[in-house]
Amino acid sequence: MSENLPLSGVRIADFTWVWAGPFATVQLAHLGAEVIRIETQQRVCVTRRIPPFAEGQPGVNRSGYYNQYNQGKESIFLNLKDPQALEIAKKLVAASDVVSENFAAGVMDKMGLGYEVMRKIKSDIIMISMSGYGAVGPESPYVSYGPAQAPLSGLSSLTGFADFPPMHVGFSYGDPNGGLHGAFAVLAALMHRARTGEGQYIDLSQWESSIAIIGEGMMAYTMNGTPPSRIGNRDPHMSPHGLFHCQGEDRWVSIVVASEEEWQRFCQGVGQPGLAIDPRFSSLEARKKNEDALEALITTWTEMLTAEEVTQKLQAVGVAAFPAVTNKELAEDPHLQNRGFFVELPHPEVGVRRHAGVPWIFSDMPCQVRRPAPCAGQDTDDVLRRVLGYSPDEIAAFRAKGVLT
Amino acid sequence: MSSTNSPTSNAQLQTSGAGLRTPDASRSGPLQGIRVIECGNMVSAPYAAKLMADLGAEVIKVESPAGDASRRRGPYPGNVPHPEKSGTFLYLNTNKLGVTLNLEVAKGQEILHRLVKEADLVIHNYHPTRMAEVGMDYDILRQINPRVVMTSISPFGQTGPNRNLHAQELTMWSAGGIVYLGGVSGRPDMPPLKTFGQQAGFQGGVNAANGSLAALFGRFRSGKGQHVDISVQECLVAIMENNYISWPYDHSISSRLGFRLIPQDVFQCRDGFIYFLAIEDHQWKGAVELMGNPDWAAMDIFQDFPSRSANWDVLKTLLEEWMADKSLQEVYHAAQARRVPFAPVSTMGDLINSKHLNARGFFAEISHPQTGNLKYPGAPYRFSATPWALRRPAPCLGQHNSEVYGRIGLSQAEINELKQQGTI
Repeated sequence: MSENLPLSGVRIADFTWVWAGPFATVQLAHLGAEVIRIETQQRVCVTRRIPPFAEGQPGVNRSGYYNQYNQGKESIFLNLKDPQALEIAKKLVAASDVVSENFAAGVMDKMGLGYEVMRKIKSDIIMISMSGYGAVGPESPYVSYGPAQAPLSGLSSLTGFADFPPMHVGFSYGDPNGGLHGAFAVLAALMHRARTGEGQYIDLSQWESSIAIIGEGMMAYTMNGTPPSRIGNRDPHMSPHGLFHCQGEDRWVSIVVASEEEWQRFCQGVGQPGLAIDPRFSSLEARKKNEDALEALITTWTEMLTAEEVTQKLQAVGVAAFPAVTNKELAEDPHLQNRGFFVELPHPEVGVRRHAGVPWIFSDMPCQVRRPAPCAGQDTDDVLRRVLGYSPDEIAAFRAKGVLT
Repeated sequence: MSSTNSPTSNAQLQTSGAGLRTPDASRSGPLQGIRVIECGNMVSAPYAAKLMADLGAEVIKVESPAGDASRRRGPYPGNVPHPEKSGTFLYLNTNKLGVTLNLEVAKGQEILHRLVKEADLVIHNYHPTRMAEVGMDYDILRQINPRVVMTSISPFGQTGPNRNLHAQELTMWSAGGIVYLGGVSGRPDMPPLKTFGQQAGFQGGVNAANGSLAALFGRFRSGKGQHVDISVQECLVAIMENNYISWPYDHSISSRLGFRLIPQDVFQCRDGFIYFLAIEDHQWKGAVELMGNPDWAAMDIFQDFPSRSANWDVLKTLLEEWMADKSLQEVYHAAQARRVPFAPVSTMGDLINSKHLNARGFFAEISHPQTGNLKYPGAPYRFSATPWALRRPAPCLGQHNSEVYGRIGLSQAEINELKQQGTI
């Protein structure tokens, strides 16, 4: 393990599961922390149980979902309902710098692993809870799944086409967003501890982290008592601003014209200089007023071309455009490949797959994924021996009693 | 997807009073003492710097004399445009000091260099094609201060064939593969749908904040700063749930048209919308009980998760009928009491009035000289030892010129001269 990474030497006892929590800790693993995920066969992590599976064949070590978001971590089995397992968990906490979890509020306390217990085991421990509703407040015990965060946070009420109901955002956005804010909070707490020696407890609410990213909508309401209307892909300050149908099945291109100067160049790019002097479109105000007609006109043009051709023609005149790309196109994207974004490490059960990698390139630190996601429980013996100092006989005894399941 | 579990509350924290987060200016945040120069525009770099400023870092925001474009974005009180009253700007720039500086002229860059001498981090989101002309050149900055970290946020990163492409929020949501996932299921005639607001910007921002702190940790080890390259596109590919990885694993393509893999949707109640989700069997049973055990719920076609998914169209119609005359809040709380993970489709007003969010002290009331008192979203986390604190509202354009430039040794006469030249 490299010793020259930002979090080299930091150990995380990772009680998280599903997605928000594991997404927080995968950031820390990328940065060099030793992240030890505590898993159990009694309740296999949801992401091990849902697709995509390699070649469509289910298996706890075959899900791309788990394998993407647990890269670089270790996995141990502990049946925390067993008192001996609980003692092992506490020993692991004593040997760790950070404890992370994203159960509903109160669950860790109920297991006997609340912050007050943790800080007695290790006085400078940093503990982060990342529940849906936060650790305190009247609704804190409520059940929250990531996809519910878009509706709950208000993001759905602002997202959608005019005259259509509020919309989802197409994936469970509340999870990674909560996880990234959680990683930031842990880094900040580590920074504080590095300078003062003081640990602390962090209560992160996924709900609140989802509200934090719709400041524009909240401010409209607090200023004027009215939220922004749902306006599909349009924008109040820019036009055209949308996704336009292109040649091919379900192919679309995004186009944004942000200023009058760009509008002039857009008309050149489309090859219709006449548009530039058409009074229906001669100002932002005029284009907003005649946006249906404008979008119909643009679609006539884009439908004659591929999304790539439209992109090329508009980029050539300095207008922002890009195809609405699919996951397949991303996985085959030469730009991402050129930047070294993809991670292709051999995994014992699924072989080499093209995983998404780290979201930062550091000029002087080799931060990259260091090992593929662990098979379930694969590091149990190693962690118990190396980190906690148990002998092979003790480990065998634990195993015989079902502690390590 | 996220955690579910038992309904106990964290009594320890509630009774200890650690729960309520009163902005506390007397205790400094965990990033106290870190000095940040932000040359940001719109969302990504400003949000990264806001995250740090709100946790105690000293952030000097450097704006061009025309000001950050988010000052022209709104929303505005009474819908009257005013550069000091834009909600987007006010929200994204709390706790920062604000100076103006024309980085396109040599004198401006010289002043930037003097600021950099004292800084731990420079964070910006100038497009790679413009960086050199505004002095965002790490080789120069590291000569001035070898310990300084520079974080550059750009649409496609600092390298690679797409580096120079023009981009906007919507085109990045497209280039990151996310827009293709959103929209109306079963309507191939309608385009994919953008998510509200500036989500690509926010994701670039939070990832940049993480990368920046990481580089500051690296400095503990090496004693040196470094350049951090953040590609917004990569930040987005990394958060696509199981969608990106589907191609490498089972060669399936994800799109909005096949989104309804699990029974979930938004339903109209008599006074708002509710989000329906019931994945586990016990959740479905709870939902059926909540609806008063209607006969249809016992039908074979709704017997288990796969059959409910397969017959979602039929189920949806029945649920629509049941929900139509119900009260949103009643259904929500009654469902949660049975451990069924329904959620309200909150409006902005619902949030401001939420008992839960208010009990947590989430909203922060901030007084600003131009807009008066307004409620802002607060911090998404609370720290037990080093609280999040609101020390000042977003700066007016150039508000701290004298203070900040005075600190690096410029006299008032020099500052006035720079003002006349249009440098600040």
